[in-house]
Amino acid sequence: MKLGILYSGGKDSTLALVKARKNHEIACLITVVSENPHSFMFQTPNIHMTELQAKAMGLQLVQVQTKGEKEKELVQLKQAIQQAKKIHKIGGIVTGAVRSTYQASRMQRICHELDLWCFNPLWLKDQGELLDEVLQSKIKAIIGGVFAEHLDELFLGKEIDKKMVDKLKNLAETHKINAAGEGGEIETTVLDCPLFKKKIKIEKAETLYENYSGTYAIIDAKLVKK
Amino acid sequence: MILIISTCKERLSELEYVLPVQKLIKHECKIVHCTNLNKRDIPSANKIIITGTALKDFDYFATDWSWLKVTNVPVLGLCAGMQVILREFDVELSNISLIGPHKVEIVKENKLVRDDFTAYFLTTKVGFGLEALAQVDDIPVLFKHPKKKLYGCLFHPEVLNENIIENFLKL
Repeated sequence: MKLGILYSGGKDSTLALVKARKNHEIACLITVVSENPHSFMFQTPNIHMTELQAKAMGLQLVQVQTKGEKEKELVQLKQAIQQAKKIHKIGGIVTGAVRSTYQASRMQRICHELDLWCFNPLWLKDQGELLDEVLQSKIKAIIGGVFAEHLDELFLGKEIDKKMVDKLKNLAETHKINAAGEGGEIETTVLDCPLFKKKIKIEKAETLYENYSGTYAIIDAKLVKK
Repeated sequence: MILIISTCKERLSELEYVLPVQKLIKHECKIVHCTNLNKRDIPSANKIIITGTALKDFDYFATDWSWLKVTNVPVLGLCAGMQVILREFDVELSNISLIGPHKVEIVKENKLVRDDFTAYFLTTKVGFGLEALAQVDDIPVLFKHPKKKLYGCLFHPEVLNENIIENFLKL
């Protein structure tokens, strides 16, 4: 089956892509660029990197813009999926949803209305196990946003390596945050994985942090040889 | 041994509908796809769980589920699993969609769940028949066969109601 990946450029949607690719053909990535930094549905930090990520994987990108108004952004998402179905002849959508019934049920409804399969291969996965699998899958991601107490600016721009995974698991135990950021505590940006023919090199980035909330905004980046 | 019967046509769906159920079970488990079910596995199981699958998947209806009528092993059908039980007992299925979280009202005292609760639904088919234990509006979403230990949930208890699976395993 030809599938489209609802792609944010973060570790979860990349891991979902890796899993889907084992049994299916990936026809395109679908990205919703939301102007609302507090969107319930979509990741916002470094979402523009999906263009470079799609190029790195040699995949087509279907991208739509939205103002990010609750529920209205779903109309734009549906239009993007409709477009992907028409152009790339996809039979289903894959998401990186883990726990959010809000996101998952809305995607299920859209897929049902468009007569598409909906796959959520990370659904209900343990947060610690998810991080371990990101490492095992050789997905190199950095933290592009932090949005919770106990996650300070020192996390921003850092790679999710074994040391960081241990740190996040420890914080999950001591301060009840979700280790993999399922509650929106962290957002990530993938710079490399085995599906990338070239890796992403950050040329310029800016760190902004205030009141337990911050982003590592990639301003300039390019693809380089691995 | 707890026998988990997968109704998923696609392997990718099993990560979503079978694995999360397996993870809740602390006992020895055996996972079999419904098309590969060996009838000898049924009497050797202590309990049987029939999983759900993707909304677009209906291939499981083509499988032979007649063993449900003769087995004495307790069975819990989840979503698609509930639909096959209902159909096997000649309950007609209607095209009604329930997608996302819904409040569920208990209508009959039972051993799986005591108080009203919220459950996560992913179904486009419902059936009005057998003994309703709980419902959403007038739609039966949890039932029991009147004489056998056959239970069905139209929702996915592995998402918000793990206790229902735990209570079934304690029966």
